[in-house]
Amino acid sequence: MGILNRLDKLQLLVVTGKGGVGKSTVTAALGAHLANRGRKVLLIEVDPRENLHQLLDTPPSGGEIVEAAANLWIQHIDPRELLDDLVREKLKVGALVRKVLASPVHLHFTEGAPGLKQTAVFGRALRMVEGHGPKELRRPDVVILDAPASGHGIAWMAAPQLVSEVISSGPIGKMAAEIATFLADRERFGSIVVTTAEEMPVQEVLELLDAMSTRLDRRPELVVVNSIYPEAPEARATDDDATRLWIRRRQVNEAELARLSAGFDGPVAEIPLEPIDAGPVLVGVVGEHLTEAFEDG
Amino acid sequence: MDPRTHSLVIVVGSGGVGKTTLAAAMAASSASAGDNTLVMTFDPSLRLKDTLGVGLEAAESVTRVKADTAGALHASLLDARRTFDGLIDRYAPDEEARQRILTNRFYDRLSANLAGVLEYMASERLFEVAHEGNHDRIVLDTPPTRQALDFLGAPARIVGFLDSGALRIALKPWFDKEGKLKATSRLGIVGRNVEGFLDRMVGLELLRDMADFFRAFAPLYEGFRERALEVHDLLRSPETLFVLVSGPGEGRVADTLFFARRLTDAGYNLGPIVINRVHPILEDPNLETESEGHRLLAWLGKRDHRAVAELRDLVGESHPVIEIPFLPDEPTDLKSLRALGEMFESGLDEALEKL
Repeated sequence: MGILNRLDKLQLLVVTGKGGVGKSTVTAALGAHLANRGRKVLLIEVDPRENLHQLLDTPPSGGEIVEAAANLWIQHIDPRELLDDLVREKLKVGALVRKVLASPVHLHFTEGAPGLKQTAVFGRALRMVEGHGPKELRRPDVVILDAPASGHGIAWMAAPQLVSEVISSGPIGKMAAEIATFLADRERFGSIVVTTAEEMPVQEVLELLDAMSTRLDRRPELVVVNSIYPEAPEARATDDDATRLWIRRRQVNEAELARLSAGFDGPVAEIPLEPIDAGPVLVGVVGEHLTEAFEDG
Repeated sequence: MDPRTHSLVIVVGSGGVGKTTLAAAMAASSASAGDNTLVMTFDPSLRLKDTLGVGLEAAESVTRVKADTAGALHASLLDARRTFDGLIDRYAPDEEARQRILTNRFYDRLSANLAGVLEYMASERLFEVAHEGNHDRIVLDTPPTRQALDFLGAPARIVGFLDSGALRIALKPWFDKEGKLKATSRLGIVGRNVEGFLDRMVGLELLRDMADFFRAFAPLYEGFRERALEVHDLLRSPETLFVLVSGPGEGRVADTLFFARRLTDAGYNLGPIVINRVHPILEDPNLETESEGHRLLAWLGKRDHRAVAELRDLVGESHPVIEIPFLPDEPTDLKSLRALGEMFESGLDEALEKL
């Protein structure tokens, strides 16, 4: 079964990757691709600095769901807000809510407690795909989450399970367990890893694959290798610095691609480095490369 | 503005810009110049470990790098869990207390995952080595930008937490010997309701583990607080200088300026800004039309140099901006590391002269 058939079925996709590898560009291109195929797509970003709207040429979300194109919406989410919402929902009484939200104990607990923020973000995504979204977008077919670059993506994916193990009962524990079950469902949840073909990023991908397989018994649906230098000319003694760098970078790219495929037998999409600044044009070009890669299988 | 005259150099910047390698290169140069230098790094790539020729023992303790530099070069790799465990070994009042913490389910599950623990442990480790005073200079490599801000804020956060009252609540003897909430007996039916409510909300077992954990940890708090305050001061001392490393891409300029402002606003001493991995300009402009590849290379060279010029312009003449070319090969041994360090220093000299 082709990768596209998989992507067409899934309800939640998490895109992870180290900073500076073009993760948001790939997320936007993938979202646009699936939207073009007729799926209703919501892209969620949680990075404190909004970025997706610039790539899709729309006004910033500012927390709202914004339509970026036909079938494609974006939303910027502050996980803290989600947690505060949860307090409002569970406590109901206004005075009590204000007291809890203003208390340093609540602040420190929700800042420090591992996995709570991630669980809250996944919880929102799950509610959306189950048809409990706001009126602007009641039920997206798929939510794509642009996970923050910090640390390993595994911290995001394993968070609900961790929370459900530690908090074994009560509404939070129940919610976490429900989300962990959702994330374990191969028919509904998948992940995509974005990297460049350089040593450290590839090393991190290999470590992530290992952690995913031992902790979640899963592997990503797809690894996108971004920014590959074009095939280089033969080295000559008269080469200038730029050409020598090009030849060497290409060698590194090829070696790292080989190292990646030795450690991952799933689908890999290779995206060439393009002379285009980050923005809607680059998103379009990366989207074309993704389409080609999908068609080639 | 010159890291060579500061005893603590903190290297910060976003991910994937060669920060760790540059920190090691600066340390190697510092040692070559005769200063006894320590480089501390977070989660280092396997290659840097190999480049420095140190093994996993550097995660346990400060390890001497085999280098024929005029001053000694030491390395220390940071591992949060090990540092945390080591801290407990050292400060737990007795063996029983030590065991109680180490085997606590809450500690075990959460210590590696607890937000801020890695950052806090790094500042603990920094405190330790700075206090030992064995080095003329410490070069500290930090995690990527956003976590770096977390790291820098860690001491203040710990003090905030310790002073917040959360701890006073956690330290109350909530449970009796049978593991029942004390309020149950004292408050009768109300107490039982409270217990039932808490059990339903998060589970009493978790609360018991947490209460145990905080109680077992109590003797360590005062020390935590004191050290956190000292690290807070150390980071802002005139002896400390920040070096901000950036990549050359378009979006990076805004990122770098944003971070530079955050640092100065928070009262840190911002030193040189380094733009690393700048693509060279294609020497022969006629090549540009030869192939798609040449066109890309020409574009990359122009883009990167435009970014450098833009940053210099925005930062102003009063602040050194150092440009380091994208090298065909990353340093893989001490020799190439020192060569990179020299490149940094000559760029620094040039920038300082212009001031």
